[in-house]
Amino acid sequence: MDPLIQARGLTLRYGRKTALDDLSFDVLKGRVVGLLGHNGAGKTSLMKALVGLAPTEGSLSVLGLAPRQQRVQLLESVAYIPDVAILPRWAQVSQLIELMSGLHPRFSAERARSLLRRTSVGLGDKVKTLSKGMVVQVHLALVAAIDARLMILDEPTLGLDVLSRKSFYEMLLDEWCDGERSVLISTHQVEEIESLLSDVLMLNEGKLVLAISLEDIDRRFVALGHDPAAAEAIVAAHPLLRYRVQGGSAALFDGPPPEAVLALGQRLRPSLVDLFMALTRQPEIARTQGL
Amino acid sequence: MNQFIMLMRREWMQHRIGWGVVMLAPTLLLLLGSLIDDSLQININDKVQLMALRQAPPLVITGLLVMAVTGLTLALALLSMTFQLPGLAWRDQQDGSAEFWTSLPVGHAKAIAATLFTQILMLPWLAIIVGIIGGLVAAMLVITAIHGPLDWLTQPWGLLALAALALLLRMTVALLVAMAWLSPLLLLTMVASAWLRRWGVPVVAALSLAGTLILDKRLPEPLVGPALWLPTSEALHALLYFNGVRALEVHSVQDAIEQLPRLPLSLLADLPPMLGALATPAFVLALAGAALGFALLVLRRKRGA
Repeated sequence: MDPLIQARGLTLRYGRKTALDDLSFDVLKGRVVGLLGHNGAGKTSLMKALVGLAPTEGSLSVLGLAPRQQRVQLLESVAYIPDVAILPRWAQVSQLIELMSGLHPRFSAERARSLLRRTSVGLGDKVKTLSKGMVVQVHLALVAAIDARLMILDEPTLGLDVLSRKSFYEMLLDEWCDGERSVLISTHQVEEIESLLSDVLMLNEGKLVLAISLEDIDRRFVALGHDPAAAEAIVAAHPLLRYRVQGGSAALFDGPPPEAVLALGQRLRPSLVDLFMALTRQPEIARTQGL
Repeated sequence: MNQFIMLMRREWMQHRIGWGVVMLAPTLLLLLGSLIDDSLQININDKVQLMALRQAPPLVITGLLVMAVTGLTLALALLSMTFQLPGLAWRDQQDGSAEFWTSLPVGHAKAIAATLFTQILMLPWLAIIVGIIGGLVAAMLVITAIHGPLDWLTQPWGLLALAALALLLRMTVALLVAMAWLSPLLLLTMVASAWLRRWGVPVVAALSLAGTLILDKRLPEPLVGPALWLPTSEALHALLYFNGVRALEVHSVQDAIEQLPRLPLSLLADLPPMLGALATPAFVLALAGAALGFALLVLRRKRGA
């Protein structure tokens, strides 16, 4: 099966600063991929590169196209939200629908209107009169009305209340994802989207520190809850991260720890947040916090 | 093509209120002036004949109002375009929507071309059409108010329509020629604004002044001054010099009425010399400058201005 996105040695530089450093990964069809990383880790740069808005080195193919050279053709099959609250403030919602109808060959005005009916936004409303959350709702409705093969969303729910976020994610999974289309979504609300994701890409300082499916996370990483008395033995086994859990401490290992260490605690399901903390924090930080 | 038209519609959606004011204000002002001000006088062929508007025959009122409203509407549209154009280079950055526009499957060159085409050509061209129609409407109301509706209806409408069409054609070609001459100056000012934002125009103005007042004096032949003045004078010449009409023998109101059948051809007589004057190296250089400006604007958008 050909991947929808294939990156090999992908590097992006802004002058002397390396925003993406030698990334290699695939995104297959029918997947919901979370792109995680701290501020400045390179998430937005990667998304820009994927839609041809940033020059890169290495090899990058999205839907079989070269993003930089075939940007227009690519964007016909990609729904992309670069950031929230970037809709033109002078426009009415109905004008945005009209513009999208004329500018995007796969946009369905009827679908957009139908999605907007679920919100409190009116078609005659001007963007500049809407709250930030309402602008986000409009933008999400516009993007979800595109019959695309790939959706790329950069912090799409920033500014939305929890109900609207939940409603958007439900719509995304129930109505947009059909087993053929894929979504790449970056967000800081890791816990909230963990249940939606099939795969994770984790960036740290421009480097890809993890590209894995959620199933493989459970197979590869082991979290071990333990008593304070076992702390020394756990530390000696070099866990990726030590953190607090209710009623004690826990340690996260890449791969199963020795049997003797396993016997010291109770196996827990590693959460994405813990994994994120483990892989994107400098080890010295963990050490200085004395966990 | 649909995308290009939709991009032009975007310009209309965004600027329609300003455009509406620019288009309709001259008609309303001249109409009110004609109706209210009894002392308003018309001038036939410079100093030859001055007469109060109310004493003028309907045909002369029609002709003068059409010319005046068209001229004023076009002048306002060009003025507004000139002031607005530098800001267009970074308006989407200013309102934070640049990323929305670049997230759509529209080529950078096409997006910029649609903006330029609409603002530099369509807006002034619409001003000409609105001016001609506005002049005719104003004439109808003024003539009806002064002479009664019958006098308006009994004008030689066939000749007037021909003259209006000839005026439209002459001004359309003049507009194309004028904008082609001015395009390097307009686009390079836009480029400066795209890179320097609100400092773009002051920097261009300062460099132009420095070039004209300092650099030109140190060069064997002045360079900056002529590079600025030649396109401007050629553009003004194309728009304002009605040589064919000037050649008509008009010394009185009666002459003006008698010469009406010759007016359409006189208007069109300006076109061959106007187009012939384009076959110069200076015009080719102007087009090259415009092409460079356009390429730089595309580059700026591509880089994510």
